[in-house]
Amino acid sequence: MAEPITEPVLEVDGLVKHYPLTRGVLFRKQVGAVRAVDGVDFALGRGETLGIVGESGCGKSTVARMLVNLERPTAGSIRYRGEDITRLSGRALKAVRRNIQMVFQDPYTSLNPRMTVGDIVGEPYDIHPEAAPRGDRRRRVQELLEVVGLNPEHVNRYPHQFSGGQRQRIGIARGLALRPEVIVADEPVSALDVSVQAQVVNLMDRLQSEFDLAYVFIAHDLSVVRHISDRVGVMYLGRIVETGTDTEIYDHPTHPYTQALLSAVPVPDPRAREHRERIILSGDVPSPTDVPSGCRFRTRCWKARERCAVEDPALAVPEEFRAAGGPAAHASACHFAATAPTGRSAPGRAVPLEGHGGGPG
Amino acid sequence: MLLDVRDLHVEFRTRDGVARAVNGVSYRVDAGETLAVLGESGSGKSVTAQAVMGILDTPPGRITGGEVLFRGRDLLKLKEDERRRVRGAEMAMIFQDALSSLNPVLPVGDQLGEMFVVHRGMSRKDARARAVELMDRVRIPAARERAKQYPHQFSGGMRQRIMIAMALALEPALIIADEPTTALDVTVQAQVMDLLAELRREYRMGLILITHDLGVVADVADRIAVMYAGRIVESAPVHDLYGAPAHPYTRGLLDSVPRLDLKGRELHAIKGLPPGLTHIPPGCAFHPRCPMARDVCRTDVPPLYGVAEPDAARGSACHFWRECLDG
Amino acid sequence: MSEQHYESERVVAVTGVGGTVDLGADGTERPGKAPGGPGGPGGPGPRDRPRSLWSDAWRDLRRNPVFIVSGLVICFLVLISLWPSAIASGSPLACDLAKAQEGPRPGHPFGFDGQGCDVYTRTVHGARTSVTVGVLATLGVAVLGSVLGALAGFLGGVWDAVLSRITDVFFAIPVVLGGLVLLSVITSNTVWPVIGFIVLLGWPQISRIARGSVITVQQNDYVQAARALGASRTRLLLRHIAPNAVAPVIVVATIALGTYIALEATLSYLGVGLKPPSVSWGIDISAASPYVRNAPHALLWPSGALAVTVLAFIMLGDAVRDALDPKLR
Repeated sequence: MAEPITEPVLEVDGLVKHYPLTRGVLFRKQVGAVRAVDGVDFALGRGETLGIVGESGCGKSTVARMLVNLERPTAGSIRYRGEDITRLSGRALKAVRRNIQMVFQDPYTSLNPRMTVGDIVGEPYDIHPEAAPRGDRRRRVQELLEVVGLNPEHVNRYPHQFSGGQRQRIGIARGLALRPEVIVADEPVSALDVSVQAQVVNLMDRLQSEFDLAYVFIAHDLSVVRHISDRVGVMYLGRIVETGTDTEIYDHPTHPYTQALLSAVPVPDPRAREHRERIILSGDVPSPTDVPSGCRFRTRCWKARERCAVEDPALAVPEEFRAAGGPAAHASACHFAATAPTGRSAPGRAVPLEGHGGGPG
Repeated sequence: MLLDVRDLHVEFRTRDGVARAVNGVSYRVDAGETLAVLGESGSGKSVTAQAVMGILDTPPGRITGGEVLFRGRDLLKLKEDERRRVRGAEMAMIFQDALSSLNPVLPVGDQLGEMFVVHRGMSRKDARARAVELMDRVRIPAARERAKQYPHQFSGGMRQRIMIAMALALEPALIIADEPTTALDVTVQAQVMDLLAELRREYRMGLILITHDLGVVADVADRIAVMYAGRIVESAPVHDLYGAPAHPYTRGLLDSVPRLDLKGRELHAIKGLPPGLTHIPPGCAFHPRCPMARDVCRTDVPPLYGVAEPDAARGSACHFWRECLDG
Repeated sequence: MSEQHYESERVVAVTGVGGTVDLGADGTERPGKAPGGPGGPGGPGPRDRPRSLWSDAWRDLRRNPVFIVSGLVICFLVLISLWPSAIASGSPLACDLAKAQEGPRPGHPFGFDGQGCDVYTRTVHGARTSVTVGVLATLGVAVLGSVLGALAGFLGGVWDAVLSRITDVFFAIPVVLGGLVLLSVITSNTVWPVIGFIVLLGWPQISRIARGSVITVQQNDYVQAARALGASRTRLLLRHIAPNAVAPVIVVATIALGTYIALEATLSYLGVGLKPPSVSWGIDISAASPYVRNAPHALLWPSGALAVTVLAFIMLGDAVRDALDPKLR
C-alpha cells in the first residue's frame, strides 16, 4: 500500500465489522453475519487527504463510524498516534475524540433542530470545557462561523433557517471547534446542489491548509474524491481493492472494478461520448451476508477465472509492475491486474468482454 | 412536433407567500428526441414536468398561464378524465425513488399487468404474460420467476428497470424521467441510462430527462434546457452548450463540477445561493450571483435571445450572451 | 404512484422559500480570509426572528378555529372549576327533597334532580372534579410514561425488553373491570384513588409512544454527532433526544386528557369512583338515569357538560397534533 509521505496520525489494521444475524426471540441463535467491513488497512499522514470511494453498501460509512468510535470494530485496530483507540473508554476515549471529528452527509439531520447555531457550534466546548474558557466561547463560536463563511451574527438562528450548503458549513464549524487533527467526512457534499458542492469542497480545501487537518474523505462521487484527495482507496464489499495516489488510481488503474467504476462516471463533455469506451458491469453487488469465495469481485468481473473463485487476492503491488515501477506499481487486489483497459487514456479501443459477466450496453 | 410547452407559469401558495415556481417556460420535444432539463433544486424543473404530466397537486399549486400542446392539443384545456387517458397511454413518467412508487404488497408482475387490464382491457392471464415480456425487454434476468416477487426483493437498479417497464407498457410517445438514476450507484446508473437511451431509439419516443447532473446529460441528451429560478436561462444543442455556454449560470455550473479528467486545485464555485421562490430578484434572477452583472441586469428581465451562431436553435436569457459566448 | 415523489418536490419548493436566503452574505466563498474580521454584509434583516417548532406551532394554532373554540371552552372550564361560586352561588349540597325532579324555573335554570338539588349548581361544581382528575391524571401518566418509555428506548437491550413486557402486562388489564376490582376495595372518597388508578393503567400508552419516538430521534445524525464529540448519556438524552421526542407525547397526552375525564365519570357512574357527597358529573348521571323519563333535564345537563368537555380536549389534542406534526395529518 502506498505509504503516506509524513508520519501517520492514524493507522488502521485489519479492521473488521460484522453484524450478527440472529434468529429466535427467546434463545437467540446466530445464523450468519453481515460482513460490512471485512479487513481494511490504511494509514493517514498529517495534513493528508485519503479518499475512500465505493458504491452503496461497500462498508465505507461503517469504516467512518468506527474511526470516530461510534461503532466498535469486531476485530482489528485503529491507532491514533500509536495508541489503539478501539478499546478505550471513559476519560481516555473522550480525550481522543477531541482529535478525531466527523462531518456528516445529511445537513438536514445532522443538526439538532431545537438548538440555535451558536449552541450547536459551541456544544463541543460544553462537553470539553478544558478546550476553551467559559467567557471566551461566544467569541470562538463567532470566529468559527466566520471561518466557514457564515455571518457570525446568525448565532441565534435555528438550523432550518439555513439552506443545505449553509447547514453543512455549520456542521464543519462544529467539527473544527476542538481543533482536531483528523476530520472524517462521510459524503459531505453528496446531498448538496451542484453549485453549492463546489463552495463546500473549496472550503474544506482551504480549512485543510489553514488548520493543518488530515481528512478521511468518503464519497461515492469519484470526481469529487479525485479533486480533494492525495491518496485514494477503492472499496468493494467490505475491502479496499485498490489503493494509491490519485494519479495512480485515476490514470493507471489496475483493478478491473476500479476500471469499470471510472469508465461509468458520466463526464460533462458530449464530445467524449463518441470516443469513450465504457465498461458496463452486469448485475448488482452481492449481499454482504453472502460474500463470494475467493475474490469478492469475481461474480461481476469479465476477467474472472477458476483461480479467482479459490484464492483471495491480497492487496499488494502486483509482481509484474513491482520491478518496472512507475504509476502502475501500486497495491491492487487482483490476480490479473493489468493497466488495460483504461477508462480514458486509449480512446476508441474496444473493451474485451469475453468470459462470463460484463455485457456491453 | 410532439410536445410544445408555451409560456408556462406555475405558482404555489405557501406559508411565506406565493412561490413562483415556473415563470414562463417554453420548450419543445420532437419524436425520437431527448431533451434534458437541467437545474438545481428549486429551479422549477420538476414542477414543469408535473404540470405537463398533469400530476401537479392543486392546491397548493396553480397553473396561472401558458399552454401545453401535445400532438397539437392543449392538455391544460382537457377535462380530467380525458387527461387521465393521455397519461400513461400517451405520456408516462419515471421517478427517482422507485421503491416508493411501487406498491409494496403486490408482486411486480401483477403491477405491470394492471396497466394492460385497466387500459387495454386484457384478461389477467394475458396481462401477466405481457408483464413478463416487458420485464424481459428491460433485461431483468429470469423474468418469469421474478414477476412473482415483491418490490423489496429487487435491488435499486432492478426496481428502476421495473419503473421503466411500467412507463413503456402502453408504448407512450413521450416519457418524462425525473432524476431516474440519482438514487443509483455509478455502475448501475450507467446500465439504466443505457437501457433508457436504447429503448427511446427503438420506440422512437420523445424523452424529457430531468436532472441536476451535467455528466448524465452530456452522455445522452440531444438538447439541453438549463433552468434557474423558474425560467429557462439557456437552451441549446448539447454540443454547443458544453463547448461554449452562452449564459453565465451555465458557465458557472460547468466550472464548478470537479472533473475526473481534469484535476485543478480550486473549483470555480458560483457565489451565493439560488434565490427563494417567494422573492425572486428583479431583473435577471441570476444577477446577484453573476460575475458579469451590470445595471441593466438589476432592472430588465432578459428575454431568451436567439443566439445566431452556430445555429438558430439556440437561446440565452442573458443581456450579454455575446460576451459570455466569447468567454 | 406519483404521490411520494411529488410530496418531496413540493417540500423542495416550499423550503426554497422559507426565510432563509441571504444572498451574497452567507453563501459567499471568501477564500483565504483570516478569521476575526467584521461580519459579512447583509446582517440580520427584519426577517431574522428566531423560529422554532414551538413558535411555528403557535402561529399555526392561533389561526386554527378548532383550537380557538376548544381553547375558549377549556379556559371557561378551568375558570369555573377554580371559582365555581362566581357563577353558581348556592351550595351543590343544599338540596330540598320537596323540589325533587322539578323542571326549570327562574333562579334555577336547569331544574332539580331526584334529590331536589339544583342541577345548575351541581353541574358547575362538577367541573372541578373532572378538570382536576383530567389534568392530574394526565400529568401523572405523562411523567411516568415518558420517563419509563424514554429510558426503555434509550437504554435498549435488557432494559427495553423488561420494560416492554411490563407495559404489555398493564395493557392487558381491562380498564373498567380493573377499576371495579381495584377501586372497590378503597374507601377514601377523594379524587386521589381515581387519579392513581388512571395513572396506573394509562402510563403504558404514553410509554409506548415515548419509546418509539426516542428510538426514531436517536437515529438522527445530530445524536451521533454529539456522541462522536464525547457527550455523556445524560446530555444526549436531555439535550438532544428529549426535546425532539416530546412532541408526540404532548399530542397523545392532550387527547388522552379528554378520555380520562370520561373514565372518571364512568367509574363514578359505576359507583367505584367518587361517591356522594362528592360532586361529579358521573355521580349525577348515575343518579339521574333511573328516572330519566320523569326528569330528563337532570340527566341532560351533566352528560352534556361531560360531552362538551371531553370533546373540547380531544379537539384541542387534534389541533395541537396538526400544529406540532404536520406529517401525522
